[in-house]
Amino acid sequence: MANSQDNHNLFENLRLELRRGSLVLAVLACLRSEQYGYTLRKELADCGMEIEEGTLYPLLRRLESQGLLLSEWREADKRNKRFYRLSPLGSEVLEQLLAEWKSIDSSLNEIVKG
Amino acid sequence: MQLLDRYLKNLAKLLPTGQREDIIRELSEDIQSEMEDKESELSRPLTEAEQLELLKRRGTPLQVAAGYSQNKGTLAFGPQLIGPVLFPFYARVLLFNLGLTFVIVGAIFAAIALSGQPIRLSELFSNILLQIAVQLAVVTTIFTLVERHLDSHSYSYKREEVQVEFVARIKQDILVRSTKPQEVSRFDSIAILVASSVALLWLQSLWAKPFLIFGPAASLIAFAPVWHRIYLSTVFIMLATIVRACINLAQPNWVHFRDVAAVVLDAAALAVIYVLMFAHTWVVPIDTSASGQHIATVVNQWTTIGIWASAVISLVQAIKDLIRLYKNWRWSGSNPL
Repeated sequence: MANSQDNHNLFENLRLELRRGSLVLAVLACLRSEQYGYTLRKELADCGMEIEEGTLYPLLRRLESQGLLLSEWREADKRNKRFYRLSPLGSEVLEQLLAEWKSIDSSLNEIVKG
Repeated sequence: MQLLDRYLKNLAKLLPTGQREDIIRELSEDIQSEMEDKESELSRPLTEAEQLELLKRRGTPLQVAAGYSQNKGTLAFGPQLIGPVLFPFYARVLLFNLGLTFVIVGAIFAAIALSGQPIRLSELFSNILLQIAVQLAVVTTIFTLVERHLDSHSYSYKREEVQVEFVARIKQDILVRSTKPQEVSRFDSIAILVASSVALLWLQSLWAKPFLIFGPAASLIAFAPVWHRIYLSTVFIMLATIVRACINLAQPNWVHFRDVAAVVLDAAALAVIYVLMFAHTWVVPIDTSASGQHIATVVNQWTTIGIWASAVISLVQAIKDLIRLYKNWRWSGSNPL
């Protein structure tokens, strides 16, 4: 029983690690069109990439401070919202990351096929 | 939206100052959007319980703030001693203790310098190193024990889950404090337990080795008799505070016990400070040398300020505890169930 729980925990940790790496890519890709946090979160969830608010907002801040995102406060639906979009540097990095991801994907496919 | 306002207010206190307003605005907007979505789904306004549930799901203010913290440190020598949830508190307690100790040591060295005694750099350096080593050892040991306690109570859960549960439970009162004095926050109990244990160990060390506080001046000055008069009472108050925190850690619903004990202990602490305030002399020269007398005079002048500051802080704390006792008592009087 304890062994199966350990295996489950191990799998969960590895799964989270795997997802964590791809979150940046997913967020950058979604922000090719401007969005605010709540709609971004919903879009990610709709695509099967659920992300907690406590992870998303600090991540957006980090990406902005790295110059990959731009943000501005603007009124929408009668409330002020902070809109994020990719910066020119962000677009460039996204292209590079996508190329890298495709290369990893095809390598992994080769390896998995055996 | 009272609940949301309180949640955000408590969260704001824990956020980095420079980004506080911006983060709160953004999170407030996000939470309101989610609440509106839920309301349109249900075609009715959310009840307070539903709002509370939604906020709880997002995490406690402490957890949310931790996500924005630049400091995601842990302490490990081989195995991890202090995890990321406790680490910010560990760092704060350590910094506070070291800061306070350095102020006192600085005052002692200033007194020595003013008395015309030569100060050797090696002496100053070794004293500072000793303070760092002692504080580091004491505070790290206590926090490691708290971390171990969390581990040993994890049972079949993952440690992260236990920590999340721990933080959720200790911060629960932040969300509901103004409606009902439900439970004594476990966070408060642990904070008091750690702080009092550190203070007690520190007091014992100073008592046994005055060099720890007086540095090289220990050969010239000593504690005045007033400290001997209040020593046992002070130890008793600290022990009683530790026992009180342990009891409330095990029985968080003993709110009235906490309230009454806090007021009694505040009164005892004020009585000790009263005795100290009117002693006028807190250190005495060991011999009749002019430098010893001069150092004692300077240290006594500094101590006056310190004791008056402690008196003001203790008085404010006593008033706050009295108000809490009155409010909680009145609440139970009007809500017997």
